[in-house]
This record gives sequence, C-alpha cells and structure tokens, in this order.
Amino acid sequence: MSTDRLTADPELQQPVSQAADKQTMAGRARRFGALHQAERTLRSMRAYGTVILFSSVSQPIMYILAMGLGLGVLVGEGGDFAEYGASSYLMYIAPAILASTVAMAAGIEFTFPVMEGFKWRRLYYGAQASPLSPGQIASGHILAVSVRFGIHAAIFTVVLYLFGAISSPLGVLMIASAMLGGLAIGLPIMAYVSTLRDEKGQMSLIQRFVIMPLFLFSGTFYPLTNLPGFLQVLGWFSPIWHANELGRVLAFGQPSPAWLILLHVLYLLGITVAAWLATVRIFTRRLGLEEWRGRTPGAKADAKRQERLAVKDAADSTAPGGAAPDSTALPRIAFRRGFGANYYSGNIRAVFGRGLTAIRNNRGVIFLSGLLEPVLFLTSFGLGISPMIAGVDAEQVGLRGGGTISYAAFIAPALLAVSAMNGAIFDSTWNVFFKLKITKLYRTMMSTSLGPVDVAVGEICLALFRGGIYALGFIGVLLVGGLIDPLAAVLMWFTALFVALGFASVGMAVTSFMTRFQQMDWMMMVLMPMFLFSATLFPISVYPAGVQAFIQALPLWHAVELMRDIAFWDFSGLTLVHIGYYLVMIVVGLALTTYRMKKLFLR
Amino acid sequence: MPRLCENASIPLSPGDITASTLPLMPVEHAIRATGLTKRYGDFTAVDGIDFTVNRGESFGLLGPNGAGKSTTMRMIAAVASRSAGTMSVAGLDPEQNGPEVRARLGVIPQQDNLDEELSVRENIIMYGRYFGLPRRWLNAKTEELLEFAQLSHKATARVEDLSGGMKRRLTIARALVNEPEILLLDEPTTGLDPQARHILWDRLFRLRESGTTLVLTTHHMDEAEQLCERLIVVDEGRIMAEGSPAGLIRDHSTREVLELRFGMDRNQEQAQQLTALLSSGAASANGAAAADVGVGVGVGVGFSHVEVLPDRLLVYAGSAESALEQIHAAGLRPMTSLVRRSSLEDVFLRLTGRTLVD
Ligand SMILES: Nc1ncnc2c1ncn2[C@@H]1O[C@H](COP(=O)(O)OP(=O)(O)OP(=O)(O)O)[C@@H](O)[C@H]1O
Ligand SMILES: [Mg+2]
Repeated sequence: MSTDRLTADPELQQPVSQAADKQTMAGRARRFGALHQAERTLRSMRAYGTVILFSSVSQPIMYILAMGLGLGVLVGEGGDFAEYGASSYLMYIAPAILASTVAMAAGIEFTFPVMEGFKWRRLYYGAQASPLSPGQIASGHILAVSVRFGIHAAIFTVVLYLFGAISSPLGVLMIASAMLGGLAIGLPIMAYVSTLRDEKGQMSLIQRFVIMPLFLFSGTFYPLTNLPGFLQVLGWFSPIWHANELGRVLAFGQPSPAWLILLHVLYLLGITVAAWLATVRIFTRRLGLEEWRGRTPGAKADAKRQERLAVKDAADSTAPGGAAPDSTALPRIAFRRGFGANYYSGNIRAVFGRGLTAIRNNRGVIFLSGLLEPVLFLTSFGLGISPMIAGVDAEQVGLRGGGTISYAAFIAPALLAVSAMNGAIFDSTWNVFFKLKITKLYRTMMSTSLGPVDVAVGEICLALFRGGIYALGFIGVLLVGGLIDPLAAVLMWFTALFVALGFASVGMAVTSFMTRFQQMDWMMMVLMPMFLFSATLFPISVYPAGVQAFIQALPLWHAVELMRDIAFWDFSGLTLVHIGYYLVMIVVGLALTTYRMKKLFLR
Repeated sequence: MPRLCENASIPLSPGDITASTLPLMPVEHAIRATGLTKRYGDFTAVDGIDFTVNRGESFGLLGPNGAGKSTTMRMIAAVASRSAGTMSVAGLDPEQNGPEVRARLGVIPQQDNLDEELSVRENIIMYGRYFGLPRRWLNAKTEELLEFAQLSHKATARVEDLSGGMKRRLTIARALVNEPEILLLDEPTTGLDPQARHILWDRLFRLRESGTTLVLTTHHMDEAEQLCERLIVVDEGRIMAEGSPAGLIRDHSTREVLELRFGMDRNQEQAQQLTALLSSGAASANGAAAADVGVGVGVGVGFSHVEVLPDRLLVYAGSAESALEQIHAAGLRPMTSLVRRSSLEDVFLRLTGRTLVD
C-alpha cells in the first residue's frame, strides 16, 4: 500500500493508525495477499506498459502482413485450407500466431522476473518480510502475468477481427485458450526457474531448447501433419499445439472431434494446475522457514572444474621459473603513449581472455545451444512449408538462370544471415547491457589500465568468436544436407562474421545509450519486424513497391541477399552495395561505441 | 613486497607508442587537486576542494554519507570526469592519461565488484591480465595475495560462495596485484571482522613503509587515527578542516569529553543549566580535584561548551572528571555518565554540528 494513499485516507485522522491494528492487517494479508503481490508486479510492469501495448497492437499487424500475406502468396490461396475450415492462409495461421505470441511472452515473464526476484534484485526476499506467504508471492506473480496475457490477447483478437482474419464470434474465446496455453508452457518453466539458485545461461537455454522447439513444431504456420511422424510427436507434447488447435476450432470452426477438443482443454488445464501447485511449493521451500537456497545447476560439473583448476594451478606453480625469480620484480604494465593513449592501452587480449575463461566456466551446452536455432528453423520451415509449395521460382527472387529452387535451399542462406544477426545482437546488447549495468564488469575493467577501446573491441571480438562457431555449425549442416557447395560454404562463413561484426558494433553502440531493461525491450521490438520483413522466408517480390523499398533499407535484407548471392553464385553490382552497407555499419558503430564508452566510464 | 621503483626504467619519449615499463613517478606530490568540482546536473557533489597528497603519505578523507568522498576518489582514479578544477595524479592529468594513471593505482571501491563468472583465483589473475601482466608472474603473485587475504583454501571456489568479508578481502587483494604506487581505499574495512581489520591495518602500515601512498575514506574514527598521517574533513562537498588527527583534535576540541544522559525530554533544559554552572564554576574551580586528574590548577575544568544530541549531552572540558564532580556537587543527577578522550568524531561535530556516524 503506497504512503500517499494512506495520508489521503480520512480514517487516518483518528488517533490510531491503520497499521497499528496488526490483527486486521494480518487477516487482510492472509485473504488478499496474492492480489497485493499481483498489484505490485503489475505496477512494476506499468513501467513498460507502453512496450506491452505497442507490441500487442503491432505484433498481429506485422504477422498478418509478413506471414499471412507474404508467405500466403507463396503458399497460394487455393482450397488447401478449406478442409480445415479456413478460407485463406492468413485465417488459418491467425489463431496460432495469437497463441504463439502469448507463449513467447510466457517464456519471458516466467523466467527473467522470477530470477530477478530470487537473485538479481532479491525482491521476493523483501516481500517475504511482509505478512505475505511465499505461496501468495508466487500466485501473485502468476495472476499479474495472466492479466498481461489477457490484455495482449484481447487487443490481438480485436485486430484480427478488424482484418477479417476471424470468422466466428466464438473467436473471442481465443483470449482464454491463448492464456491457458501461455500458462501451460510458462508455469512449468517458472517452477524450474524458481528452483535455481544461480543463473548460468539457463534462461537462454530455456528459450533455445524449450520454447523455440515447442513453437517451431507446434503447427503454427502449417498443419502439424505436414511434418514427418517423429516431429509430429513433439507437437503433441507442445502446449502451443493444443492452444493453436483450440484457437482454430474457435476462430473458424476447424472440424475436430469432441474428444479431441476435450483433450486439448484437459491437457492444458492439467499442466497449468500441476505446475502452479509445484511453483507454490517451491516458493514455500525457498522463502518459508526452510530457507532452501535453491539448486546450483551443474554443481557436479562445477566440482570437476574446481578439481581441474586445482591440478592446473599446482602444475603452474611448480613449473620451472613459475614461482622463482620472476615473482620478485613487477613486470611491465601495458599502456601506450602517443595517439589515442587515453582510449586504447593495447590490451584487447585480456578482455578477450576473460570472456573465454567465463565461457569455459559456464557449461558448454549453453555455448553450443546457439547452433541449434538455425537448424530448428530450417527443419521446421523446410519440412513443414515445402509440402505446400512446389518450389521458389528463381526469376521471382531475382536470380539469373531461371528454373525453380527448393524452398529449403531458398531459406537456408537467409537463415544463416539471421543467425549471424541474432548471435551478434544478443552478445552485443543483452550481454553488454548486463555487464554494463548489472554486474558492472566494465567498471572493474576500467579501473585498471585498460581503455574503453580495449573493452569495446575485446567484447566485439568475443561476439564474433561465438558467432563464428555458430555459423560453422550451421554451415556444416547445410553442407551435409547438400544445400550449398564447399566453396560457397567458406565464403559464407566469412560473410557471417562480417555481418555479425556489423550488427555487433551497431548493437553495442545502441546498448550504450540504454539505461533500463524496458528500453532493451524496445530494441527487441525493432528486430522482430526486421526478421519478418527481410525476405528470409519468402521473396521480396510478393510486396508492393513501397514496402519493398522499406525492406531494402533495413540491414538484415542486405545480409540475406548477400548470402543468397554467394549460395547461388549470382553476383552483381548489388552485391557491392550490400558489402558497402555493412562497411558503413561497422565504421559508424565502432566510432559511436568508443565515444559512448568514454562518456559512460568517465562520467 | 617488491617496490615499484626497483623496477623502474627511464621514461620513454612521449611519442613512443609501444608498451613501456612504468617510469618512476616524476613528481614530489602523488596527488594534487585545486578547485576540484563535480556537478551532477544542478547538484554539486564536490564543491571546489584543494588538497595535496605527498608521496609515501597516508591521507584520509573523513565525512558523513553523501559528503562527496567516493566522488572525489573516482575523479582521482580516472573513472569520473571533473566539472571544474585541475588534478594531477603522479604528475599526470587523469582525464588525459587514463590508462597510464590507472596503471599506477590500486583501487578498492566502496562496493565490491568482483567478477562472479570467475573463480577466486581467476579474479586476481584476470585483473592482473587487464594490466597486461604476464600469466606466469601472475600465478606466483596470486598465491602470495591469496595468502595475504587468507583465501588460499577458497582459491577455486566461485566468488558467489564467499561470505561478505571474504569478498571484501578478495577485492583488497585484487587491487594489490599491480603493486600500485598509490592505493585508493574507499571504506576498506566495511564488513570485515575485527581480526581481519587489524590484519589489513598491519598490511597497510607495511605498504606505507615500503613507499606506497595511501588515500582512504572511512567512517571509523579509530581507523583514521591509526592509519592517516593527515586528513581532510569533508562535508557537503567542501573541506571543513585539514591536519593530522592529533592536531585536529587539539585545534577543534577539548582534551576530554563528558557524556551525560538525562533522559530524552530533559536534555535541552539541562544543557542550559550545565553551561551556566560550568562557565561560572570555571573561575572557582576546586583546585584539589583538578590537581587529582592532572589538570593545571589555573585551567580548572577547562570548560568549553555543551553539545546537545538527541539522546545525550556532550560536555567538552579539559578535565571531564572534575566537570562531573562539579555537576554532582550542584545536585544534578544524570542517569549515566561517561568520561572519554576527544576523538575526530568530536572534531566533526564541532565543525558541522552533525554527528558522523549513526
Ligand atoms: N552518478 C551520480 N549521479 C548523481 N548524483 C550522484 C552520483 N554519484 C554520486 N552522487 C551524489 O553525490 C553526492 C556525494 O556522493 P558520494 O558517493 O561521493 O558520497 P560519499 O561521501 O562517498 O558518501 P558515503 O559515505 O555514503 O559513501 C551524494 O549526494 C550522491 O547522491
Ligand atoms: Mg562513499
């Protein structure tokens, strides 16, 4: 309860303050505690309320334009979807996109804020000191997130109605089915996250190994039956598939047997209830009298690492010349004189080395998980969409030589560009923001003889190192799949690094202006349309000229086209334009980053 | 502890852009600031202060919360820009030669900022790597520092698993890895237990003896009196006084203090009564009693003034014992009384009208 409301309360004029009546206060907390906590969470969400509202309105419009219309042109408006009861491709995917966006939001709302509550800002421990019970703290968060889902789904549904993408009045109920889907995917994750004592990349593991596969193999953009059998099984387990199918029944009356509808509902409800109870139980263990500190994931691996370190250290200190005369005199300390000496000390190596040590200390599986994403995309779209289209007309996508190319070969180079972008952006925005604002690593670095340029370039090198390994993996998959030839593969790997450098330098420059997490959300919202409107999943020619010009102004399109030029060995003057675009990005990004780093660290 | 100057070489010409060995600090004073000012928007955190820290000296900044101590330290450490004024650290302007100035500094920030993704040992090694020190040398140096911080048994643990005091010790050990010429310590002993604090004091003494310049901020009077040869008292961004701890006490306070408690409501009226009593009593001092406690007969009680704090009264007098006797003789009955020597705390109270801690 806020203080200003207390003072406005006329009852306060009475000699005894409300707070004095401990009995009533405790009673109220017992009954409405979860609501108080929900209110608190919603208030904190209000800070980024505009982001949420904006995304609720813009997401459906973007998906309608990009996937519904763009991919729709490729898939064809034929009667393919009549058997499902939908009169167009757009109508077919609309309910699934609603359910998927809620599921994606669940992947955020049930992970980061929970970790924040337990570890980063220890908010829950503050609430623990109030009369709220741990269970109420958990339920309060869940209720608040449900409200957010509800608002998002309601706005989304209205937009879909306006575009005529829903034909049945029952479509309103999709708000409930989407919310239920979001809870069914989010609550088990929340239960898991609340057991964690420490975050060592689990959040991105969840995104990459849980949410992404469940989304990509949930029959969102095509009927699940388009996939080979074993991948269909994945869909059956995915709460998103169940929410999608429920939504389709509601939105355009997709024919479904009653038992199946019941099964969808029961499956989602069952998971939601069970995970909710589990979450409450875990919160009680951690915040209650037991004061359980949570699991440290990979504790065993940690112990092994410690052993290994101990052995290595022992070897180091007994190594000849290790401890002996060297240790008495201080060796030279790195710094430069002359041009730019205030910014660059010539010690990028140390920043890069620190990053490698940190990667080694974290679990390798997290590092390697970045490989998975483009492979999943390729599998999902390559296998799922291909049955619906004959192939991509080479003329249509501006390639000389004519003929048709398979859909998988069409999207593969583009996905490499997208993955280079994603990796670079993630490393240069979220990771940098974290080290800048949360762990304050850069401040530590800047209290040594390092300069801002050492830090910035070291971090960018690290992003490229990671991006280079991811790209290597994906290109390997493409080679094995016969989608590209070896010479193109080599060129594409260098291009991936080049593209990553462009995004990393600009991303870092932009991040240096950020002061709060909400602003990071805005940045992510810019990336979303860039992916959807990049001619990755369908040729740019499906759009009217105006939209085409807009897409061509965005950086990702240039990367996608550059990759396709290489993959199909089809170079032109435009290839040089693409390269030039990235050169400008790199130069401007690096210059701005350096300038900002100086500003930030020399406040 | 090896001294830096043993390893010093001839300074390189300014145009040389290769990495160079640190030349000897070329000037007599380690730090000199004039008109040093820091503004955050309309708010002035540091308001035009002047001070000089000589080489090999230990220098203290004393002041209440928000006085601008940490801000001053950050400007010395070349991680904050000045709004006005000049500053030279080891003869260099920290704003123009950040890396070179920082190469000579060891910084212990007020808040530990250890690298949680690294182990205890790696924290020290990586920090040394930021200075460009070779790994092999660092391996040996790190052992020595771990020993010093009494963290050898935790060498491979994650930073996360350390207690608050252990983290503090690691932060201190880490700052010593480059064998700094000037050590900046922002409230170094916060969170340390008495034993660890005394070990650190001892270590700082030895560093000072080996020629390291120490600059520290603290809230602990005993720490300032123990460690600082000279200090400035800062309040609201301005210097209130400057001198050695003993000199400051001599100039701004009496030798002894009598602390009296009469109960919350009666302090103010008692203060007036006491002032009247002791001011007049000063002339007709009881010679015998004064002699007993070793105060010159002519000085008597040596009464100066009374300070009123929320919970107690402080009577400043050359001889607190005889003041107490007079008070008792006048029939006043304080609930508790305590005789103690003046401290920097009293100096601060005198200068600013506020207490330092609490
Ligand atoms: N980055 C900043 N932006 C705005 N104001 C600041 C900033 N840093 C410090 N201040 C303000 O400057 C003043 C001095 O802060 P500083 O941290 O130097 O105090 P301090 O003497 O170290 O206090 P403490 O004993 O609590 O550590 C404070 O009022 C603080 O609010
Ligand atoms: Mg401070």
